[in-house]
Amino acid sequence: MSSSLPTLFILAIAIALGVIGWFTTRKGPNQTLIRTSILLTLACCYLMWSVTYLAQVHPLESPRRAFVAEQ
Amino acid sequence: MGDEYPSLFRSEQMSLVQLIVPTEVAHDTIAELGELGNVQFKDLNPDVNPFQRSFVGEIRRIDEMARRVRFFANEIEKEKDVIPVRPLYDSAPLVTVGPRAAQTIDELDVKLSEHESRLSQMNKSYKDLSDRLKELIEARHVLRETAVFFDRAATREIDVRHSLDDSSAPLLQHDDREQQYSAAGDVQLDLEFVAGTIDRTRLSTFERVLWRMLRGNLYMNYIDIQEPFVDPETGVETRKNVFIIFAHGDLLLSRIRKVASSMGANIYPIDANADKRADSMREVTARLEDLQIVLYNTGANRRTELMTIAESLASWQDVVAKEKLIYETLNLLNYDVRRKTLIAEGWCPTRDIAQIQLALRHATEESGTNVPPILHELRTNRTPPTFTRTNKFTEGFQTIMDAYGIATYQEVNPGLFAVITFPFLFAVMFGDIGHGFIILLAALLMIMFEKKLAKSDLDEIVGTFFFGRYIILLMGIFSIYTGFLYNDIFSKTTHFFHSGWTWPEQHGNGTLTAISNGHTYPFGLDPAWHGAENGLLFTNSYKMKMSIVLGVIHMTFAVCLQVPNHIRLKRFSDIYTNFIPQMIFLQSIFGYLVVCIIYKWTIDWSKASTQPPSLLNMLISMVLSPGSVDPESQLYRGQATVQVILLLAAAVCVPWLLVSKPYLQYKEMQKTHGQGYIGLGADEAPREVEDATLEGEEEGNGRAIVEANDEEHDQHDFSEVVVHQVIHTIEFCLGCVSHTASYLRLWALSLAHAQLSEVLWDMTIANVLEMTGLIGLVAKAVVGVLWLTLTIGILCIMEGLSAFLHALRLHWVEANSKHYEAGGYVCAPSHLRWPVC
Repeated sequence: MSSSLPTLFILAIAIALGVIGWFTTRKGPNQTLIRTSILLTLACCYLMWSVTYLAQVHPLESPRRAFVAEQ
Repeated sequence: MGDEYPSLFRSEQMSLVQLIVPTEVAHDTIAELGELGNVQFKDLNPDVNPFQRSFVGEIRRIDEMARRVRFFANEIEKEKDVIPVRPLYDSAPLVTVGPRAAQTIDELDVKLSEHESRLSQMNKSYKDLSDRLKELIEARHVLRETAVFFDRAATREIDVRHSLDDSSAPLLQHDDREQQYSAAGDVQLDLEFVAGTIDRTRLSTFERVLWRMLRGNLYMNYIDIQEPFVDPETGVETRKNVFIIFAHGDLLLSRIRKVASSMGANIYPIDANADKRADSMREVTARLEDLQIVLYNTGANRRTELMTIAESLASWQDVVAKEKLIYETLNLLNYDVRRKTLIAEGWCPTRDIAQIQLALRHATEESGTNVPPILHELRTNRTPPTFTRTNKFTEGFQTIMDAYGIATYQEVNPGLFAVITFPFLFAVMFGDIGHGFIILLAALLMIMFEKKLAKSDLDEIVGTFFFGRYIILLMGIFSIYTGFLYNDIFSKTTHFFHSGWTWPEQHGNGTLTAISNGHTYPFGLDPAWHGAENGLLFTNSYKMKMSIVLGVIHMTFAVCLQVPNHIRLKRFSDIYTNFIPQMIFLQSIFGYLVVCIIYKWTIDWSKASTQPPSLLNMLISMVLSPGSVDPESQLYRGQATVQVILLLAAAVCVPWLLVSKPYLQYKEMQKTHGQGYIGLGADEAPREVEDATLEGEEEGNGRAIVEANDEEHDQHDFSEVVVHQVIHTIEFCLGCVSHTASYLRLWALSLAHAQLSEVLWDMTIANVLEMTGLIGLVAKAVVGVLWLTLTIGILCIMEGLSAFLHALRLHWVEANSKHYEAGGYVCAPSHLRWPVC
């Protein structure tokens, strides 16, 4: 059965990726830029995916389509 | 975050430094600092006009050298056969620092002037020779063409003679006489004449003028010269005619000569005697040949000279441009004549001071003296300039933010976050795998040919796209991602996973409703929605809610960026007078809305006891009729109470925001007044006197020379604080409402984009998809090209620009207004590299 829980799993994965990204960024003039980019990318992508997913977990509306019988 | 490396997060910490440079190392020091390119020198002689500054003489000299170098460059450019100019990286470097610098420059100056005089002499002799050549060619033409006139004139002469000799001949029998040919060929022709060449356009005027002046007493003949005369200097073609005018009497002839010279005609002495003409023809031809050889040699010599110049032209241009910049910078410094030192002041990044010290030491060693320039930091209460280090990747994003305003010194720079949020918000409005792929491809092409494109001068529009190539790259990548989530590829759909909907068996005509099979499409929009009658209903609700969620989170993030500013600028009170109430206000209304949106999604309404509430109505009634929630459609138990509490929290924040900051300021002022201090209106005036007396002792050490020249008045005016805070509060509270609504543009634009691409598909390709055979193939090809053109032109470029514009607005207005002060001024360090490359 569909549930909202996968969003939490993916959140955990996204956070883990963020932590890994934070600590594996090498020191250098671009460290801040790379760290920020990794975190923001993860946040944006996760947010949009989870919104899309959640909107479809318990839909109030079902797709309708007009069919014409083929003869 | 460590300050070990410069980052985009904040602008660089700047120091006002003073350099005391002995005159003998001044040039090398500035050269060294210019290579480093991180010191912004201040003009220490703002009152002195450019002609009275210390290094005017040097600048004049450099200008003269620059003129010569430009002259060489022009000459080389004008040469028909291309002369290769050795590029800068390939030519031997010309060292203009160190003990031999002055000598090098002198030598260069001499060399340049020698080359110039040699070249201009060659140009002159080349021009003289070409003129001579032209004259000779004209003379040859005149000789050759006039021969025809003479021949004709000679025959006529004979006729005339005959008619005169035979006095009994009737006057009107001329025609008969003409038939007779007499053998009297040696009759001397005594008509006098003028021969020469004239520009063909002036010929008719010339003829008319002569006719009038001589009252028709002339016989003029002319003939076209076939080949045009080309001016070797300008390359302009002129066409000329040979003319010969027969007239009688010295007076008339001198008049003709005068008119001819005033009309720009060249007159050549031609002898009436045919033998002499033949002689001079031979002579002219021989001289012409000689002259051509000489001219060729001169041209070859000149070319050799130009090639020698081209060998080192690039390095000369480089040196001259650098020297000019160095002296212009030196002119900004304060010149102390008595002690032979120059005093420089300027801003530089604090972290670079060590590097600058090193550069100074290096300059001293290079110049071979043992008096090093002295650098020390000055204390100042002036706001330093904003200096952000960018690279080619971040440059574009930073420019977007700089276009809104230059960050205040040490303020959190939104350009860092725009690197991701900007392309992301763009992609939310532009979500389509296909379109994303097209712009990704365009960006990749621009990046692949980066070096080549950077060198060629692009026009303004292409140049702008090229400048933003990394922005376009990220926009493309994110558009592909959001395209997957919207499940749109050129308005079609992808089907990677198990759909969450099953279509029932179809019986006859009618509308079918899909049945949920318990799955949720794991990534993106379920393909079952594609082409469904109520597909728009669903995507509208989904995209609208998503834009609210993204918008509120983006704004929350922007509000949070205030905190690092308050901490760095030591305005701790601002955290609880501004940040906390703003946060509570935003979260208690719009944050709550986001929570409700997400909570509503997680509930299975088919099994719930209540009806799904309309969240929009919920938000409206939360404000308009607090405390009353219809139990039939409530989201959760105790909703009414929670909403009242949230509303109260928001309501409290308004006076909190309004009053707390002015109150704290007021108390602060009371405290200073209580301790017996009074504010000084203009605290600079008494110092001026002091400085004058201190000068003798301190010798200008440790005191900024142009201190407070352009200092702003930083008077704490209480009423200003109050007004500012009132405006700030109103702006924030109203802004929260309107800005949240403004994020709905994400929904509107993505909807418009999806619909437009669907319409385009339906109106073009969908019509020819069914066609078969050869016609179908041709139709598909033609319509396919049309579709691709429109896709790129309208959907990628026009829609892309509009999405870009809206993303820009969301950053500038909705996000920046929450934290960005943008009250800085940009730092422009002296740099020796950019003007040349």
